[in-house]
Amino acid sequence: MTRPAAVMDLPRRDAADKVRGRTLYTTDRVRPGVLHGAILRATVPAGVIRKLDVAPARAMPGVRAVATAADAPGMHGIGVADHPLFASDRVRYNGEPLVAVAADTEAQARAALEAILVEIELLPAVLTMEAALAPGAPIVHEGWKDYETLFEGGEREGNIAWVARVERGAVDAAFARPDARIVESVFRVGRQNQAPFEPRSALAEIRDGRVEIECSSQVPWTVRSVTARVLAIPESQVRVTVPPVGGGFGLKFDATIEPVAAVLARLTGRAVAVVNNRQEEMATCLCRENADIRIRSAIGPEGEILAREATVLMDAGAYGGEQVFLTTMTAHTLGGNYRLGAARLVTKAVYTNTPPNGAFRACNGVYNTFALERHTDEICAALGYERMEFRRRNVLGDGDLGATGQVFEGDVLGPMLARAEALRERTGSAKAKAGNRLYGRAVTVGTWFVFVGPSTSTVNLHADGSASVVTTGVEIGSGTMVQALPQIVAAELGLSPEKVAVRQADTDAGGLDMGVGGGRTTVSLGAASMAACAEVRRKLFDAAAELLQARPEELVLREGRVEVAARPGAGAPLTEVVAHAQARTGPVSGSGGFTRPGVPAMPGCAAGHFIDAIDIPVFCVHDAEVAVDPETGHVEVLSYNVVQDVGRALNPRAIRGQVQGGVVQGLGYALHEEITIDEEGRMRQVNFESYRIPLAGDAVPVALDLYEGAPSIGPLGAKGAGEVPILNVGAAIACAVADATGRKVSQLPLTPPRVLGLLRGRDPELRLDHV
Amino acid sequence: MTVTLRINGDLRSFATDPMRPLLDLLREDCLLTGAKSVCREGFCGACTVHLDGAPVPSCLVPVGLVGDREVTTIEGLGLAGEASDPLQQAFIAEDVVQCGMCFPGMVMSLGPFIAAHPGASAEEIRQAMTGNLCRCTGYERIVEAALTALGAPR
Amino acid sequence: MGAPSEGRLIRAESVEAALAASASGARFLAGGTWLMRAPVRGERLSGCFVTLSGIEGMARVEAGPDRVEIGAGVTHEALAAALSGLSGLGALRAAARGAANPGVRRLATIGGNLCAVDFAASDLAPALIALGAEAACETADGPLRLPVEEFLARRAALLPGALLRSVSVPLGPARSAHARLPLRKAGDYPVAILSLAAVIEGGAVKAARVGVGSVEPVARRWPGLEAALAGAPLDPDSAAEAARARLGDFAPRDGVEAEGWYRIEVLPALVRRAAAALLAGDAG
Repeated sequence: MTRPAAVMDLPRRDAADKVRGRTLYTTDRVRPGVLHGAILRATVPAGVIRKLDVAPARAMPGVRAVATAADAPGMHGIGVADHPLFASDRVRYNGEPLVAVAADTEAQARAALEAILVEIELLPAVLTMEAALAPGAPIVHEGWKDYETLFEGGEREGNIAWVARVERGAVDAAFARPDARIVESVFRVGRQNQAPFEPRSALAEIRDGRVEIECSSQVPWTVRSVTARVLAIPESQVRVTVPPVGGGFGLKFDATIEPVAAVLARLTGRAVAVVNNRQEEMATCLCRENADIRIRSAIGPEGEILAREATVLMDAGAYGGEQVFLTTMTAHTLGGNYRLGAARLVTKAVYTNTPPNGAFRACNGVYNTFALERHTDEICAALGYERMEFRRRNVLGDGDLGATGQVFEGDVLGPMLARAEALRERTGSAKAKAGNRLYGRAVTVGTWFVFVGPSTSTVNLHADGSASVVTTGVEIGSGTMVQALPQIVAAELGLSPEKVAVRQADTDAGGLDMGVGGGRTTVSLGAASMAACAEVRRKLFDAAAELLQARPEELVLREGRVEVAARPGAGAPLTEVVAHAQARTGPVSGSGGFTRPGVPAMPGCAAGHFIDAIDIPVFCVHDAEVAVDPETGHVEVLSYNVVQDVGRALNPRAIRGQVQGGVVQGLGYALHEEITIDEEGRMRQVNFESYRIPLAGDAVPVALDLYEGAPSIGPLGAKGAGEVPILNVGAAIACAVADATGRKVSQLPLTPPRVLGLLRGRDPELRLDHV
Repeated sequence: MTVTLRINGDLRSFATDPMRPLLDLLREDCLLTGAKSVCREGFCGACTVHLDGAPVPSCLVPVGLVGDREVTTIEGLGLAGEASDPLQQAFIAEDVVQCGMCFPGMVMSLGPFIAAHPGASAEEIRQAMTGNLCRCTGYERIVEAALTALGAPR
Repeated sequence: MGAPSEGRLIRAESVEAALAASASGARFLAGGTWLMRAPVRGERLSGCFVTLSGIEGMARVEAGPDRVEIGAGVTHEALAAALSGLSGLGALRAAARGAANPGVRRLATIGGNLCAVDFAASDLAPALIALGAEAACETADGPLRLPVEEFLARRAALLPGALLRSVSVPLGPARSAHARLPLRKAGDYPVAILSLAAVIEGGAVKAARVGVGSVEPVARRWPGLEAALAGAPLDPDSAAEAARARLGDFAPRDGVEAEGWYRIEVLPALVRRAAAALLAGDAG
């Protein structure tokens, strides 16, 4: 296999500005004269608004506009339009926006908020899923039946925002087999805050009668559509541009404060900035949701998995949001790793009176993988199987069925397990570093996917031999826009990547794009750009054929020249060909689109799913060694090895950076980052003192083996590599801690108090009777 | 109250609240946005500037306490244009950066540290980074680049 | 923000001027690392402030034959540097070097640290307690000198009218060590801190002082453990065992980061670590 021209360790073009503090993120673009917006938020978890008098705020110094629900009448959501921009009648979570004020300074805006007279009659709140699902529980959305449905097929009922079900094969019969051995486990995980360094920020103003929003978003098209929906204006009246984004990790996949800035800009006719301060950002963070999980497996006499049942409850918070969509993913994370004779998987997104949750790097895959791999180890412990051997024997291979009956292609996980063992032999064990502490090790598997969906790209080839690429992709730090895209376009057009400029996202310039996230950017924008380049090449070869007296199909692009393939040296410089084309047929440009091809599932297996089968599965094997201090409960990660399925590594060095970063973020989830909800329905950890993201001393160098060659429809066989490194970290650490301590590890994060509590037997074993 | 400060070599006066964080004055009044406003409680280091060459979190420094100390921001490090600092060069060359929000602070904190500790080990560099959080990179490459900037064998 | 505000920050050149400003309602401002975080705690940074850095000697460390006098305006970083080479003060040096992070250590002062009434996780407090340090205050009625543990216990009532001028640490035959337990490797406030100072003569502990911080709202001595350690050789394991038998001595505080039970449950481990460090001598 020869290495494609697109494969290289291209350095980031944005690094020099970033290390010199010159990069202007949205938060750096609040220039003097811009009005400042601030949001008044509810301070109770559930209630009826009896009085909301904003007149005193209007009279405060510097105030230019006051916005309420009347200014944003529309509802938005995923699957179901259940979410208003401002509460109008009911308050459903502590922190819900009630009013926004625009004033000359932020201090004036905040002072005005305090002048607003609010009376909210308290209602009983459901702060946990257990409470929300109890008989006779207060209903978070009394009018749930009347909401507009945006996607058909989900079951909904009271506090259950959405249900996705999978039923494949004879599950009950398998569990009833006399030779079946049944193992059942329950798990609970807390929320995880993305904590991007740049908070959600938006600048809005009115230009030529349209709303223009510059914001820190991963999906400009979502900001465009949500803003139009809630303001009840046509989408064509909204333009969204996105400068470099200071971290997203999924938080900025949904729109939140951007429409608030738009409302205030419309009311004032002025430019308005809305920038969350750190406490607001964290208190209203669309976290990775907390979840309660039950898994049951029937194991056959040969150690095969006859059937598996699972129920996953995902806390959506007060509004459905991403959790509605993500109910789909249980099928593929609990049912896409191991060969299952039969499967029944039920996932419910549950409304509670808590801040809404959202998307976070590999989403529910992270905790489903934790639950599945801990369950797998519990099967091994209960039935006496060696953990690695059980996995080797049961992982999905070529032609095996996923949960929804999709046929998986290629043996991937099996060979990756072998590669993990080989990698461990190379790195050696760090067991000696454990000293007197308890030592544990675990190898875990995980399956995630590339969230494909539509992307568009336009490529312009200029007469100076450079190209420009126009998309609505966003650079959030993952490198796609500054590395993968210029690499791909340069390779397709025979240029050096330095000659390929990539336009920053602008919904007026680029076509529809599902955004940066879900590991999709390089795949979808890369494929769209390759399609655009194909059109560019066709136009170029047509022009060159005329110039070179050759047939277009005989031509190739090589180092800035169009050449006749069979006659090296015979050809013309690109610049000359483009100039010729410009004069004869017009400037050379091409546009390309991409969307998911739609891999089939087995009819009738899945209900309420947004995606019945995954177009590009991504597999991971993680191998961790830990030491547990028996006196303090501190877990030290001694070594961390990863084998990751990348399809084709376009920029291996950049992928290594993503893997290192993703694993350490996963260590935060596994060990440090804890969110608890207080009796008022607020997250307790809303600053960097109490929310502990890993520091340099908590990180561990990751040894990585890139597994190439698994089937992928991505450009040049690539798969997204930035999202998935976090997938198995909770699983690997939890299984290793269980190995070290001999205790049932059923919850994350494994903070020192939790681990010491486990070791000392302080807490009763987890029971989740409501699941 | 009038506060006079020397910022990146320029003497400037501001009519401002002396208890205002230096960070806000730099970003809002001077439009020096290289120092980032992230946690505002001294834990993340993204707002680090130098006071007489010593790295401090500017979110915790009231402008009234700066006195006659020279304030240097990330913008003041390389006025000539090119990133000549070996640490910045290593960050660029070794593909260390991701979202980039923490990097001005990393440069401001680690630069003086490695200058003062030419023989620093990886572990000492990690300790020196206790006040500099990064959410993207997982730190290891930052440590490796710092070692490169020191010319340390790896 | 940004509005001119005369009189908001007064620079005191003398103790008398500082006390006068305080009497008229101004709050003492030291390094700023606690006060400047008021907005994060949901408090307003309102009113007037008086900075003490202009007072002669506030930022000085003076080592005499019997005591070290530490000006209240000495930063953690400066303190750690000044103590290197002084024997017996390992606990204080480790506390000054390990607290918070380097940037904060460059700003935060010993005086500000001890006067932040709501800050339970001071590293310096238990170290100073173990070392038998005294707080030297100035009041309108004249100087007031009291043991650090007493100062800490009474400071909420004392402070409006008292200015912490310096801290005086005795030099003697005791060796000392400091053990802190953050939940990460470093960077967060420790959930429990233990400082141990011991005079060891003829292979046995002649006298021991133990300071415990972050476990209760205010750092204090652990007399029960001090008594248990005296008279026997210092052995980390038996010291930990002695600690385990006396965990009931504490009424631990619950916090977002850890519940009370955890703060006391880890004390034996900290005692073992501190004793081992003290014996190893690596902490001075």
